[in-house]
Amino acid sequence: MTSTYARAAVPLLAAMLVAGRATAQQTDSRLERLDTATRPTVAALVDSARTAMLPTEPLVQRALEGATKRASGEAIVAAVRRLAVDLGHARDALGSTASPAELSAGAAALRAGASQATLAQLRHARREPLTVPLAVLADLVASGVPVDSAAAAVLGLAARARDADLVEFRRAVERDIALGAPPAAATAAAATATAQSVDVNAGARQQRPGRP
Amino acid sequence: MFDPVDDLIERIARHLRRPVQIDPALDARVMREITALPTPGGTAPLGKAWRWLRRPRQFTLTPLGGLAAVAAVAVVVLFSRMPSTPPAPGQIDSRAFQFILVAPRATHVSLVGDFNDWDATRTPMRRIGSDAPWTAVVPLVPGRYHYAFFVDGSRWLADPSAPVARDDDYGEPSSVLTVGGGS
Repeated sequence: MTSTYARAAVPLLAAMLVAGRATAQQTDSRLERLDTATRPTVAALVDSARTAMLPTEPLVQRALEGATKRASGEAIVAAVRRLAVDLGHARDALGSTASPAELSAGAAALRAGASQATLAQLRHARREPLTVPLAVLADLVASGVPVDSAAAAVLGLAARARDADLVEFRRAVERDIALGAPPAAATAAAATATAQSVDVNAGARQQRPGRP
Repeated sequence: MFDPVDDLIERIARHLRRPVQIDPALDARVMREITALPTPGGTAPLGKAWRWLRRPRQFTLTPLGGLAAVAAVAVVVLFSRMPSTPPAPGQIDSRAFQFILVAPRATHVSLVGDFNDWDATRTPMRRIGSDAPWTAVVPLVPGRYHYAFFVDGSRWLADPSAPVARDDDYGEPSSVLTVGGGS
């Protein structure tokens, strides 16, 4: 009797696993916007990312961006592959608990030139989600700030600054650069001002318990 | 000597020793009656299933079988938790963002990006007057988004008020918007 149930349960479990996997591996219908030569390669890259427990939505979006911008199939495949590699490196640095948004921002930061060690340091320095600090790091480098200066500034602020403080810090740097300040100097000055502002705000919050 | 009690006993014993004649159709009749009786829980498939579910059973499982079952459950849970498609706007804390482009000579502008599958038909921008800026409002959940403006069906423009996407792979300009988690 018991062996009968065991014999019935094993194929049932196997069927559940196969069905779940088959559902997960269904090709995303949005990829039909790609040409027939490019689609299978991109779908295979997406499946590989899924198997590696990486977020697949950024890869699909990168492929769709290429399709809308009428990029060549080779360019689309190269872009999706590069992003998948960056996502994997970001996950290695940030840990398996990183959210898809954090991994996307981490991949952008790595692409901008930040090191995996910087990402890991950020993970240790900040309890809150890292999406904004990583994005700010990538955006600063895109604005011309040397990657070492950007990483040092973001690392210095990450522990205590809120997301809004970090966004304001990035805006201050970009504003100063637009006014002619050297990017590294603008970053250092804005980081100091933001740190002081964070300390003042934190002090004010401590004096008013119960207020946000 | 004649004993009337012995005679009575003898007659009773003789009667009891006679083979009993049973109607051969008795079994069939009894079974018919039993089948006709109402059963608790009904005879419908639902009732049978309910009785089957309530009947206690014993299972034996080898340690290897137990490990395999645990592994199978773990795989199913991991697959179900695996990040793939982000929740749709509205499912988690989403915020409305207004995108603005000043392009007085444009006749048609679309907002395209990671939030609308880069579909140029999905988010057309609007303006109130011919000199007014083009605007569109999109609900966004926390994350980092690439986007661009598609002007008159032929021209790509980055958002002049947003950081440029450094990781742009296709040679056309894109911008980046980061939506924080509200901390």
